Amino acid sequence: MFRFVLIRFGRAFVTIIAVMTFAFVVLRLSGDPAAVIMGPDAPIEAVNAFRAAWGLDQPVWVQYVAYIQAIFTGDFGVSMRGQSPALDLVVERIPATLELTLPALLLQLAIGIPAGIYAALHRDSAIDRGVILGAVMGFTIPSFVMGLVLVLVFAVTLGWLPSGGDATWQHAILPVIAMSVGGIGILARFSRSAMIEVMGQPYIRTASAKGVTWGSVVRGHALPNAAVPIVTIVGFMVGSLLAGAVVVETIFSWPGIGRLLIVSVTNRDLAVVQCILLLVAAVMVVSNLVVDLLYGWLDPRLRGHAAH
Amino acid sequence: MSRSHLVQIRDLSVAFDGVPVLHGIDLDVAPGEAVGLVGESGCGKSVTWLAALGLLPAKARVSGQVRLGAVDLVGAQRATLEGVRGAKVAMIFQDPSSALNPVIRAGRQITEALGIHRGLKGKAARREAVRLMELVGIPDPARRFDLYPHEFSGGQCQRLMIAMALAGEPDLLVADEPTTALDATIQAQILDLLATLREEMGMAVVFISHDLGAVAQVCERICVMYAGRIVESGPVGRVFDAPRHPYTRGLFDALPSLTGPRTRLSPIPGTVPDPRALPQGCAFAPRCARAVAVCSLQRPRLEPDADGRALACFDPVPADARTPAEAQHPAARASAAVRAVDEAAPPFMPGPHGAGPAGSGPDRGRWQEAAQ
Amino acid sequence: MTLDVMPDVTRDTPRKAAPLLEADGLVRIYETRKGLFGQPVPVRAVNGVSLKVAQGETLGIVGESGSGKSTLGRMLLGVDPSQEGVVRFAGAPLPAAGTPAWRALRAHMQMVHQDPLAALDKRLTIADQIREPLDIHARGNRAERRARVAELMQAVGLRPDQAGRYPHELSGGQRQRVVIARALACGPSLLVCDEPVSALDVSIQAQVVNLLADMQAANGLAMVFISHDLKVVRNLADRVAVMYLGEIVEEGPVEAVFAAPQHPYTQALVSSVPAPGKRLDGRMILKGEPPNPAARPAGCAFHPRCPHAVASCRAEAPALVPTAAGRRAACHLVGGADRLAA
Repeated sequence: MFRFVLIRFGRAFVTIIAVMTFAFVVLRLSGDPAAVIMGPDAPIEAVNAFRAAWGLDQPVWVQYVAYIQAIFTGDFGVSMRGQSPALDLVVERIPATLELTLPALLLQLAIGIPAGIYAALHRDSAIDRGVILGAVMGFTIPSFVMGLVLVLVFAVTLGWLPSGGDATWQHAILPVIAMSVGGIGILARFSRSAMIEVMGQPYIRTASAKGVTWGSVVRGHALPNAAVPIVTIVGFMVGSLLAGAVVVETIFSWPGIGRLLIVSVTNRDLAVVQCILLLVAAVMVVSNLVVDLLYGWLDPRLRGHAAH
Repeated sequence: MSRSHLVQIRDLSVAFDGVPVLHGIDLDVAPGEAVGLVGESGCGKSVTWLAALGLLPAKARVSGQVRLGAVDLVGAQRATLEGVRGAKVAMIFQDPSSALNPVIRAGRQITEALGIHRGLKGKAARREAVRLMELVGIPDPARRFDLYPHEFSGGQCQRLMIAMALAGEPDLLVADEPTTALDATIQAQILDLLATLREEMGMAVVFISHDLGAVAQVCERICVMYAGRIVESGPVGRVFDAPRHPYTRGLFDALPSLTGPRTRLSPIPGTVPDPRALPQGCAFAPRCARAVAVCSLQRPRLEPDADGRALACFDPVPADARTPAEAQHPAARASAAVRAVDEAAPPFMPGPHGAGPAGSGPDRGRWQEAAQ
Repeated sequence: MTLDVMPDVTRDTPRKAAPLLEADGLVRIYETRKGLFGQPVPVRAVNGVSLKVAQGETLGIVGESGSGKSTLGRMLLGVDPSQEGVVRFAGAPLPAAGTPAWRALRAHMQMVHQDPLAALDKRLTIADQIREPLDIHARGNRAERRARVAELMQAVGLRPDQAGRYPHELSGGQRQRVVIARALACGPSLLVCDEPVSALDVSIQAQVVNLLADMQAANGLAMVFISHDLKVVRNLADRVAVMYLGEIVEEGPVEAVFAAPQHPYTQALVSSVPAPGKRLDGRMILKGEPPNPAARPAGCAFHPRCPHAVASCRAEAPALVPTAAGRRAACHLVGGADRLAA
């Protein structure tokens, strides 16, 4: 077990290094930050001075080593725009993003999984068909379309809810919905098929044959088995929520990490972009790690402690 | 036959998506009796008992009667069925490794049944489960109580299934191909265990199998099924000594033997009919060497015979025929039928009944003509 | 429209002295992991197996799960590599799997598996499947291939109108006929059958067993017939090898071995075969579990389950030695084994 966790952490570390390297290379290749930040009319001396100040005149590999070294000492660099530490800028925005992603995740779990399971247990009923239809619509409509439609209907036409900003909790309603709909659809589909598969297994028939009531068969025998594939997909969805945040925060002018990322990319604010990508990678890696550990807990076959 | 019956099945029929797969089964099981149900895949032997216990998927249409005491299980409320399952009638299945829940500890799966049927909880349930595990021959049960099913071998999983079935102290144990997925030596162990348990606990056993040999070892009475109907039933000794339905007889003749001369096998020609396109008349007629004109027009009813068996055939094999192995082998007729169906006698292929081109293969004289 | 279209090395140059197939000291070691976190454990699936199959002869291989009989079958064709030992076909060592030489040789050595549906391509018609090996090995022209397919279909008892059918439209027995026809297409001299009739119902099983016997007699095939079913093996095979935990524990003429098994394991196997009309009483029922190749016992691998085991069985593994005419057994207790060997 210990060995397993160690290996997983090792892999997580390598993944993060890879993401950092990728971000570094792509950002250096995609344009000169000095030119962008100083503007086209800046005198050449000023641009050169800016380059020297930020170390941009050094060879790329020197910049890379310096960058990696800095990160391992906890220094994520300074924003080229605001002069404040990049990490502070990012951390400052985290609560706002959590205000959207956490409710969205909860909504996905609370609606997607029960809907899928209910549909599976009432297969081919009207409700089942409804769930399938809703799920397909949910995950085929892109979140920016969904966001715009929500704004159009509830903010512009009906005027019930604000169309952007973060002043009150009502401001969060539309973005949370826009962010969660796709995930609800995916989870519903996935839970449904996982549950249908499990309900067809011989051990479910065994449980019924020994007199276990239907409700207990579903709760005690089927759900624990269906949990393994469902947990897998939830792990993926945590990552996709962050991707969704970039789009949704932009549409609803929500001052979270997603919008910060868009702004920083536009401004070639390298330190901030790198810091955000690192954060996203870390979240993905951690959620995958959690999923792997949950596997072992949910399915004894993957635990592999040889008991005899 | 006016014994009080434990289970009385009358005219039990099952259809899946409008396709009938079981066509009116009548079957009684007396207390303590061991009945075997044999037949090839798709003959309805398992469906009969899954239907009786309401374990078929919802799309199955079940009609007829399954009487257990005063209760009719066909169309009964879910609660009624749940009260019968495991308590009066328990069932175990083929492939025990997938029939146990992989994420629940083995002992816990037994105590669950003990809790439902005997109200045992906690320590008492654990003690009883360990006793049952010991009874079915699981070594060191106290230590292995907390293991998961994948940590047991296939044979031990089947023992666990049996322990689970015994937890409710049922009057009838339905064993659906319980040894098919197991190795020969383990199969023998499980058959031995079932026979011993039946003797000790006095419960009735229904043994469903395609294996005539296995059925003979556990059962007193046997029902042979074909295409959703019982075609022959009777005491094991009589049916095995002198099978009278041509299908039963064909099953015996198709079996290779471990003793005696090595003869060419006599397969039943053709294949089992598609349930969506059953032949008119006797379902076996197209494969039957004894079929007469009436067989393809009318369906023979299952009629009781003078010697205590029941038979659904217009022209059964004579009752005085000796055991299949020693009996006159209808070699010529059977092989003619095989040829007719298979159309498989190319000129370059020397069958055992025809001379092949010399030197086309080493003739090791391995096929001896059936005893004439 | 005859078999002569297809060249056949072995029939043109019959070798009386050298066996068609010869395996010497085959060893196959797998690495398995228990669960996600376990240490890899080396498993000796096949542990020093030597055997010979003469041209036109059928060797039955029987054993339970974990005996390594299927692995051995794949090794005999070179599909599974061996860590030690050598397989010789028609006197020459098998070329390495995947090489052009090996692929060319595969025309002469074919395999039939238990599950015909898995062995067949769902999207190809029956005729296409049977013709496939002819295409691969570039046998004959189009017309000749078509004629050969028709001939094969007739030989295995498939109707001409079934040529355009797909595997799922056939019954299990018919599918196995297709697999057999395909295996025979290039006129092989060796057929390795791994449980070819186990998935079939009794009546259909007899049809396929008869078909295999006919095909073998007609074409002078050598056959390795792997099965857990002693009765089928007895019906088809000339000789039988009984495997336990990756080793041959007994070998000899099939009727003699099953009539008077010498090794205690063979005795138990024979005794465990249910005979219709015979009750359980008086049968030898082995104690214990089927063997686990990952935890091979010291000494004789069978000793933990053997009713006759003595001290030497626990200490020393018995060698497979001649015991009687044409018979070999690996047991310390089989009388006179050493004397006969000398």
